[in-house]
Amino acid sequence: MRSIKRYTPLALAALALGLAACGSSGGSISGSSGIKAPPGVQTPLTESQTGGVRGGTLTVLNHQDFEHLDPGQAYSSVDYEAVYATQRPLYSHAPNAFSAPTPDLASGPPQISADRKTVTVHIRSGVHFSPPVNREVTSADVAYAIERGLNQNVANPYFSSYFGSLEGAQEAEKKANGGPISGITTPNKDTIVFHLTEPKAPILAAALVLPLTAPVPEEFAKKYDAHSPTEYGNYLVATGPYMFKSNSAGKVLGVGYEPGKSATLVRNPNWSTATDFRPAYLNQINIQIGGDTNVIGRQVLEGSHMVENDEIAQSTVQLAYEKFRSQLEISPGAGTGYIAVNNHQGPFANVNVRKALWAALDRVAMNKAHGGELVTNVMTHFIYPEIPGFEQAGGLAGPQVDYNDYPTGNAQVAAKYMRLAGYPSGKYTGATTLQIVGATGSPTSEEAEIVNQTLKNLGFKTKFSLVDKSVMYSKFCGTPSEEIDVCPNVGWVADFGDPQAVLDVPFNGEHIPPSNNPNWGQVDDPTINQHMAAAELVVGTQARAAAWAAIDRELVAQAVAVPYAWDKQPNVESHDVAGVGDVWNLGAWDYSFTSLK
Amino acid sequence: MTRYVVRRILWGVLLLILVSALTFVLFRILPTAEPARLRAGRNASPRVIAELRVDLGLNKPLITQFWLYMRGLFLHGDLGYSYTSGASVRSLIFDRLPATLSLTIGSAIIWMAIGLPIGIVSALRRRTRTDRASMGVALLFISAPEYWLGLIVLYLFAADIGRVKVFPGAGAYAGLTADPWKWFTSLILPWLVLAAGFAAVYARLMRGSLIETLGQDYIRTARAKGLPERQVVLRHGVRAAITPILTIFALDVGVLLGGAVLIETVFEIPGIGRLNYDAITHADFPIIQGTVLLAAVFIIVANILIDIAYAYLDPRVRYS
Repeated sequence: MRSIKRYTPLALAALALGLAACGSSGGSISGSSGIKAPPGVQTPLTESQTGGVRGGTLTVLNHQDFEHLDPGQAYSSVDYEAVYATQRPLYSHAPNAFSAPTPDLASGPPQISADRKTVTVHIRSGVHFSPPVNREVTSADVAYAIERGLNQNVANPYFSSYFGSLEGAQEAEKKANGGPISGITTPNKDTIVFHLTEPKAPILAAALVLPLTAPVPEEFAKKYDAHSPTEYGNYLVATGPYMFKSNSAGKVLGVGYEPGKSATLVRNPNWSTATDFRPAYLNQINIQIGGDTNVIGRQVLEGSHMVENDEIAQSTVQLAYEKFRSQLEISPGAGTGYIAVNNHQGPFANVNVRKALWAALDRVAMNKAHGGELVTNVMTHFIYPEIPGFEQAGGLAGPQVDYNDYPTGNAQVAAKYMRLAGYPSGKYTGATTLQIVGATGSPTSEEAEIVNQTLKNLGFKTKFSLVDKSVMYSKFCGTPSEEIDVCPNVGWVADFGDPQAVLDVPFNGEHIPPSNNPNWGQVDDPTINQHMAAAELVVGTQARAAAWAAIDRELVAQAVAVPYAWDKQPNVESHDVAGVGDVWNLGAWDYSFTSLK
Repeated sequence: MTRYVVRRILWGVLLLILVSALTFVLFRILPTAEPARLRAGRNASPRVIAELRVDLGLNKPLITQFWLYMRGLFLHGDLGYSYTSGASVRSLIFDRLPATLSLTIGSAIIWMAIGLPIGIVSALRRRTRTDRASMGVALLFISAPEYWLGLIVLYLFAADIGRVKVFPGAGAYAGLTADPWKWFTSLILPWLVLAAGFAAVYARLMRGSLIETLGQDYIRTARAKGLPERQVVLRHGVRAAITPILTIFALDVGVLLGGAVLIETVFEIPGIGRLNYDAITHADFPIIQGTVLLAAVFIIVANILIDIAYAYLDPRVRYS
């Protein structure tokens, strides 16, 4: 799961919008998931990607700074805005397509062997690195880019999740500088082959959209990778249509990027439109970092040639909805917000207690706290909109089970499940005091309080704590030994448009490390684990969607967590910007497709 | 005098050591996330976290970590490296300091230039309409949260989103050396907003202090000697009345040099306050520690300077 720029990392549930008043008055624009946007509001699913006016400078007002510009380290939505405009991974997404990657540096789809242990990718010729490297990209540059992910100075955050089954990866991981990895071979300059120890080619192939696969020239980057942490992010070279402004040595830091202040993207002189599917209309993108969200939103709405590309203030969305509706974009598929409950021990080890909480929770109230109908939908299962398998898993309505049938909560159904759990009164009568750890800030604290109150109504005694979000994840909810009973503010956004990327890590019992554990509820159902292992091997978008949708239904049947919000992300632009948002990146404006009017 | 100054400096150094120790201990006993995990980022493997623990020296005993931290800090000025960007905290602070200095010094000049004369006039015209009006306005500005005031001023007067487009708005800040005119114009609104509350406080303080001073025997003596009223007020009254205000002034400037978070955020000024704010949101403890120490340094230095200034301002004060 990558971090979301709108909120603080890892916490989708931290959507800081309070738009209950805006509401959604029936929609006219509908995505493939069936989620509707109000009339007059844009969505990335319908914005035109062609016919833009070439030229001009776009000003981006961002509240948040980048975390990493190095494609080997980048893992947040705000990073991706710049990384995908400047780098060319093997595959990437068209703005409106989350589930169907487009060959980018690759010249065609990945070829998966019959035994699912080999993936072969051919790369296109004629792609060149930006100055000062200037030479043509080869498959060896992709190999180095991936291998450096294991260099402890780079420490790519998702390598082990998707590339860990490469032959030789475990040996390379033991070395301080990572690669080379014997399972990556480059038989010629246009071909790269991935050899796996297990038949996990489908998920590796899907992960080739991640920025780790963007080529890195070893002769240029190696000296920077020797530093701890790597300094390659300060001396970037690009392959995409844009590059960070840099000096003759390729230095970006202090030239094209001033941390906490600004960044400047200019055209990459070595980029050729003949090799790319992106139109790249703009000449330059000036990114201002650090403005107050209440101010920059208004600057964008009332100004010219500007977009806001991160956290949007509630006041901005309200203003846009009421007065500048055509400048407001709502993107579906911005992740999930759910309550992690401890499946391992304590009262929630009992499936009926989990179902009782699900039934009792007023998910509509949670969503109002979360931002209201304009920016959320009541979540009814775990695969979220725009991810393959969403419809098969139940669509918006979700599985028809009684504990899921009442979005505003139902005390009778909750009492029924408490009785099934062994509490004849329909209320908890045990001795356990539940430990609830939520996140400070708004609306997470309000949501956590709703959950706390719901649990009290079910008869529980609670010990309720709110801590900083990073602490909540790293010290409490992400540390299994703490055995936290309820984490009300967790959420998930997939690394790419594959249902495995939504369900596997947070709910597979095979992945419960002693720290940094993203399976916050310690869900470990042997049957579900087994089915996930089988679904990993399935090839083909439709087949994978069906396989993982079946797992989603199992997760609902076991009520492994209590879902409440499917997020939608608002974004705003000036009246004279023809913005194109990325549905795969929370609707963030795509610099390679956006143009000026 | 020299002995006094040396003694104050030594006390200041001791205080800094104590503040450093306190921040070090606080960040390790409070329920915070482990630095290695924060530095490693999401989904990091246990191996990466373990290696970072070694890199950051977190595998060493706490007392050893403390010694290494203090040694690095006081012998090499090493404030460590940001968990998120890996950048040197010292360089980050020095990069942001000019903006904060510009903001603080400019607004301090304005609030003293506005607040003190108003306080003096109010004291001299006690219980008149002028006094009541000026103190009423002062109360208004004291009550107005500066974040709110900043937004209001931008919505009214900013060149981009203002109703009356007069001054450059948020995000217009440029460095003094890069573009002096833009630097000046972009800081007008932030200076005024930051100075408004302080000017109001200082006006009230000056008024109270001057009223008390003007009631002293030596003022009566000065008048009895036939000195002009202007000389009585400015040379004998104000000079004595301003001494306690300067103490507060030193503290205020010291605190602001540690970062004016809200103003820097509203007006998008890349200063120490914004750096600190971002660090807090990312739990980037080395930066938080660095900015806390910086604020402590400014407060201590400002206090020493003001104590020295006392000797020149108030003839009753003599250090030995």
